[in-house]
Amino acid sequence: MANKKTSGTRKKTGKKTASKHGSTGTTRKARRPGRKAAPAKKRPGLLARLWRWGLLAIGLGLGLLIPWTLWLNHVVVAEFEGRKWDLPSRVYARPLSLYSGLRLSPGALQRELDAAGYRRVDNPDDPGEFSSAGGRFEIHRRQFRFDDGVQEALRFRVSVADGQVTGLASPAGGAELGLVRLDPAEIASIYPLHEEDRSLVSLADVPELLVTGLQAVEDRQFKHHYGVDPRGIARAMWANLRAGGAVQGGSTLTQQLVKNFYLSNERTLPRKINEALMALLLEWHYDKADILEAYLNEVFLGQQGNLAIHGFARGSEYYFGQPLDTLQPDQVALLVGLVRGASYYNPRRNPERALERRNRVLDVFAETGLLAADEAARWKARPLGVTDTPGFGRNRYAAFVDLVRDQLQRDYREDDLRSEGLRIFTTLAPSAQAAAEDAVSRGLDDLGSRGLPNDLQGALVLADVDSGEVRALVGDRYPNRRGFNRALNARRQVGSVIKPLVYLLALEHPQSYSWLTRIEDEPISLVQPDGSRWTPDNYDKQSHGEVSLLEALTRSYNQATVRLGMQIGVNHLVTRLQRLGIEHPVPAVPSTFLGAVELTPLEVTQLYQSIAAGGYSVPLRAVTAVQTPAGETLNRYPLRLTPQARRDAIAVLNYGLTRVVTDGTASALPALVGAEGMAGKTGTTNERRDSWFVGYTRDLVGVAWVGLDDNRPAGVTGANAAMRVWAGLFRQLPVDPVSFDLPEGASWRWVDPVANTLSEEGCDGAIQMPFVAGSEPATAVSCGGRYESEEEKSFWRKWFDKD
Amino acid sequence: MTRIEAFPLRPLRNGAGLVALALLLTACAGGRSTPAPIEERDVDAEVRAPAKAESAGVQVYPLKNPAVAELTSQADRAEQSGNYDQAAILLERALRIQPRDPELLQHMAEVQVQKQDYAQALSFATRSFDIGPRVGEICARNWRTIGLAREQLGDNAGAREASGRADQCMVTKPQGL
Repeated sequence: MANKKTSGTRKKTGKKTASKHGSTGTTRKARRPGRKAAPAKKRPGLLARLWRWGLLAIGLGLGLLIPWTLWLNHVVVAEFEGRKWDLPSRVYARPLSLYSGLRLSPGALQRELDAAGYRRVDNPDDPGEFSSAGGRFEIHRRQFRFDDGVQEALRFRVSVADGQVTGLASPAGGAELGLVRLDPAEIASIYPLHEEDRSLVSLADVPELLVTGLQAVEDRQFKHHYGVDPRGIARAMWANLRAGGAVQGGSTLTQQLVKNFYLSNERTLPRKINEALMALLLEWHYDKADILEAYLNEVFLGQQGNLAIHGFARGSEYYFGQPLDTLQPDQVALLVGLVRGASYYNPRRNPERALERRNRVLDVFAETGLLAADEAARWKARPLGVTDTPGFGRNRYAAFVDLVRDQLQRDYREDDLRSEGLRIFTTLAPSAQAAAEDAVSRGLDDLGSRGLPNDLQGALVLADVDSGEVRALVGDRYPNRRGFNRALNARRQVGSVIKPLVYLLALEHPQSYSWLTRIEDEPISLVQPDGSRWTPDNYDKQSHGEVSLLEALTRSYNQATVRLGMQIGVNHLVTRLQRLGIEHPVPAVPSTFLGAVELTPLEVTQLYQSIAAGGYSVPLRAVTAVQTPAGETLNRYPLRLTPQARRDAIAVLNYGLTRVVTDGTASALPALVGAEGMAGKTGTTNERRDSWFVGYTRDLVGVAWVGLDDNRPAGVTGANAAMRVWAGLFRQLPVDPVSFDLPEGASWRWVDPVANTLSEEGCDGAIQMPFVAGSEPATAVSCGGRYESEEEKSFWRKWFDKD
Repeated sequence: MTRIEAFPLRPLRNGAGLVALALLLTACAGGRSTPAPIEERDVDAEVRAPAKAESAGVQVYPLKNPAVAELTSQADRAEQSGNYDQAAILLERALRIQPRDPELLQHMAEVQVQKQDYAQALSFATRSFDIGPRVGEICARNWRTIGLAREQLGDNAGAREASGRADQCMVTKPQGL
C-alpha cells in the first residue's frame, strides 16, 4: 500500500503546537526580501535615485514573488494530491448476540452497553440510547457494518430474569425477535505515531445540514469566492475594530484548511499572505467539493490527552458515540460550533459555553433558513447529549490488545496497523473482561489481607472452550497499567497443572490403565541427566501406599505421578506438549512430570482448551476478521478444529478432573463459586513460588496464575491463591456443568471401585464412571460381593458415594 | 431439504433472496430444472440424499433455539445461492450459540465440503458423530461426509471404512448409549 503522507499528518500534537515541515523553511525565506540592497557608487539626483531604487525593488519583488509563488504552488499541489491521512485501526469487541435463553445478568448487560458507549435515557428515541427498569431494557441499537454485512439500527426490548434473557421483542408489544446482535464496543484504536485520531468520511456521506450549516456559520461565500473573501475580511475587520480586539476571523474555509494543512499557527503578516496565496492556488487547482471534503476530514475538533481528534466523523464518535450520518440537528450544530474553538467550547469541560455556542449555531441555522424557527427552538431546548466519556478508552483494554497485535503480526506490518484504518473484529467480551479485572485486583488485595505478600502479581485468561475465542485477558493486578503482560509473557513453572497430561497418556493405553488401576505412592529416587539424584516429596510430606490413578490425580500425589510417568516415558509427555501447541523446547527429564516446565498462562489455556473441548483443539484466537475502512474483508480467522487422537481417553480424563473439584485438591471451589459441575486442576511450585488454577465449565476455560515477579517464594498454593482468583471470576459468569459427551470407544460402567470389578446399579458401593473400551475391570461381581474390611469400605464411600 | 420446512421463512428483502426462495421452493417440490453446480451436487447427491433415503421412519430433531434456527435458515439461503463463505460465517455464529449441536456441526461439515476444505469437513463431521446420536440419518450424513473427505484427502482405505460405517448407521444400535 502506498504510504505517502502529507506533512499535515505529521503534526505531533494536533493543532495547538502544530509545526510545519514544509513551511518552516519557506517562512525563513520569506523574511529575506529587502534586507540586502546593493550600495550605490555615486550620488545621482534624488529623482534618479528614487527611480533606481524603485526599479530595484520591483525587480527584486517580482524576482522573488514569482519563484515564491511557483514554490507555494508546488507545495500546495504536491501535498494536496498526495494527501493520505494515516488512519488508526479500530479494534472492536465481539458483538453481543441476544436471544431467549442466553445466560446473562442485568449487570452484565449493563456493562456491555456501557462499554459500547450506550447512553441511559428515559426514552431511547435515538440510536445509541437505552432505558432500563428492573430487568427490562429497551435498547436502540446503532447501525453497524459487520464483516458479514451492514446491520441497520433497531429499537427493541429485552427482558432479563433469573440470569437469562426471557424475552426479546420489538417495542410496544411488537413481534417476538429470534436474535438481535448489538453493535460491538470499540475497545481500542491503534494510532499513528503522530497521535492523530481520525475517521474518514466522503462528502457524499456527510449529512446535508452539516455541509450547509458549516458554510452558514463559517463561510457564507464559500461557493462563490476564489479562496479569499474580501467582503468577509472587511466584515471581520469592522467587527474587530468595534470590539477593540480580534473577535472574528475573516478566513474562508479554504484559508482555514490551508492553515491546518500547510502552515503553523503563528499570527504574522507573512503567514497571512502565504495563507491567502495558498488559498487562491488551492482554489485554482481543485474544485469546491474536493476542498470541502478535505476540510471536513481535517478540522480539529478536540483533544484527548496526547491525542488530537480530527474530522467530523471522528468528532461525532468522540462526542456522541454515534456515526456521523445518525446525528440530529442539535448535535450537528454542536460540532459546527466547535470549529471556532474546540477546547474553548469543549462540551465535556465547559458545558455551559458549549450549550450557548450550540444554540447560537442553531440560531444561525434558523436565520439562514436551514431550519424552521420553531424547529430550531425545539432543538435548542435539548440537552447537549454528549457521552460522559468517549466510548473508546486509550488503555482500557491494553492487555487484550497486546494479544490482538501478536495475532495480527503474522499477517500485517505494524506500519499498516497504524495507518491503514483497518477494522479489526475481536473476541473480547467487555463484561467478562470487567469481571476478570475485578477478580484479579480484588482477589490479590484479599490475599494480601490474609497474610500473603502485598506485592503479589497475577494473570488471568478466559477463553471459549469450543471456539478457542479469548474472552478476557488480564496481565497485571492493576489492569490499566501498561507494562509487563504476564498472561502473554510471564513464563513460569506450572507444577501439578501438567499432571493431567501424564494421566491422559496412561488412559490412552486401555489395556494397562483405567482410573481404578493401582499405583504405588512411595518414595522414589531417580538419577537426573546431570547425574544428581532427584527424590520428589509429596505436598504433605507423606507417602500414601497403593492408590488408584483417580485418587493420585485428584489428590495430586507427586510420588505416584512420577512412578506412573516413568512407566510411560518422559519423551511421550514432551511430544504431547509439543503436539498441543507448546512451541519452545521442553526438557525431557523426570521432573517434567511434576511440572518443572515453564509456560505462560496463555499456553496453559491452549493446553487445556483441547481437553475441555473433548479432544478438539482450536488455536486460541483474539481476532476473527480484518477489514479495510471501506468494508472489504482482508482476512478472516474462522473456526478450525483439529481432532486429537484418543478422544475416548480425553473424555475419561475430563471425568477425573471433575473429581478434582468434587473430592480433591480443589474441593473448596464449589463453595467459592456457588456452583457445581466444574472441572479443574491446582498447581503449586517448589517453595510456593507459583500458584496456578486451571478450570473449566461446559463453555468456558479459565487459567489463573499468582506469584511474585522476581520469583521469590510467595507462600502461595494452587488452592489458596490462584483458585480464589479464578473463583472470583467464575462467580460472575454463567456456569453450566461440564458435560461428558463420551465418544465412541468410551462408556459408562457400574463398578465396585474397591474390588476393581464390574458391578451393577444399586449394588452396595457400586458407582458409575467412564472407561475407555478395554480398560474396564476384567471380572464382575454381583451384589453379593463384600469388602475386605469395613474401614476400607468407608474410605471408598467417602470417595465415591458423594450423591 | 426437509430440514428447511421446519423453519418459517422470513420475508426476503431483495431480489437475490427471492431467487433463493424460488430455488428452495423448486427444491422442495422435488423438481430442479437446472443442474446444480458440481460442488453443491457433491453434498446433496452424495451426503444428504442417500442419508435421507436410507433413514427409515421419522427423524426427530430436538427443538432448536430460535436464534440458531434463524441463522441456519440464513445459512441455507446463502448455500442455495452458492455463497458458501457466507454460509460458513453464519453457521459459525450459530455454533457460538450452540457449539455442540450435532446437526449444526454436520451442516458446517457439508458447507466445508462445498468450500472444498476437506480437512475441516472431516473435523466437523467427526465432531458431529462424536456427540451426535450415532444412529439414523445424521449418522449416515456424518459418515458419508467423512468418507467423501477422506477420499479427497487420498485416504482410500479410510473412505471405504466410512462407507461401511454409513451403512451401519441404519441397522446397528451403537454400544454404550
